[in-house]
Amino acid sequence: MKPWPTPTPEAIARIRAMSERVLSPDEVRAALAVPLGEAEEEEARSLIRWFRRRYKTPGERLAYVRRAYRRWSGTLR
Amino acid sequence: MQPSEFDESELFRAIAASGARALLIGRRALVALGIPVLTADYDFWIHIDDIVAFNTAVEPQGLSPTRSPEEARGRGRYVLENDERIDVLVARSVPTIDGVRVAFDDVWSRRRALQTALGVTLALPALDDLILTKRFGGRPKDLEDIRLLEALRREGE
Repeated sequence: MKPWPTPTPEAIARIRAMSERVLSPDEVRAALAVPLGEAEEEEARSLIRWFRRRYKTPGERLAYVRRAYRRWSGTLR
Repeated sequence: MQPSEFDESELFRAIAASGARALLIGRRALVALGIPVLTADYDFWIHIDDIVAFNTAVEPQGLSPTRSPEEARGRGRYVLENDERIDVLVARSVPTIDGVRVAFDDVWSRRRALQTALGVTLALPALDDLILTKRFGGRPKDLEDIRLLEALRREGE
């Protein structure tokens, strides 16, 4: 299987800029006025249920995310 | 360069023991409550009079402040960093992107205690207040986090 290409530093910078962009008050209000769709809501709640079932304590959840972040950031090198 | 030895449990233990009024906010708070999101740093909102106590508590982890307490009070925020990074908000109150003023003392009075390890209790904002803190920034990822927090509420906090 062909490996997924490593994102360029420019691509990472563009994505970061989009993610960090500060929205206007109107954009925030408009976005929050739209409720989650049924499928999106179920997906979010299912993810939360799994996470809370698999990692029962706050300490376990925090430790999992530290491990997951290390794995994820390792893929960017 | 060798990475510093960082012990998250010890960090939280030291903060809890310091007596500093410190609220865990940001994505790390979402994780503690049960929302699996990734984040690189820690975010705390602390009382403006507790900067020295907070800095002293995290100093054994090798975390150094980027500003003096006086500068931090003037700017309303600072960072503690080494290989880890803690963003610290020290404002008495912060407006949301859509103009709601959120006061630390009010949020602190409604805080929730969360045990992260045996004998270690962290303070978090109540869910509604945590959602308000997510409206300080107004970035797309903050809106995504608000949706996840609302899903958490419906799931039964």
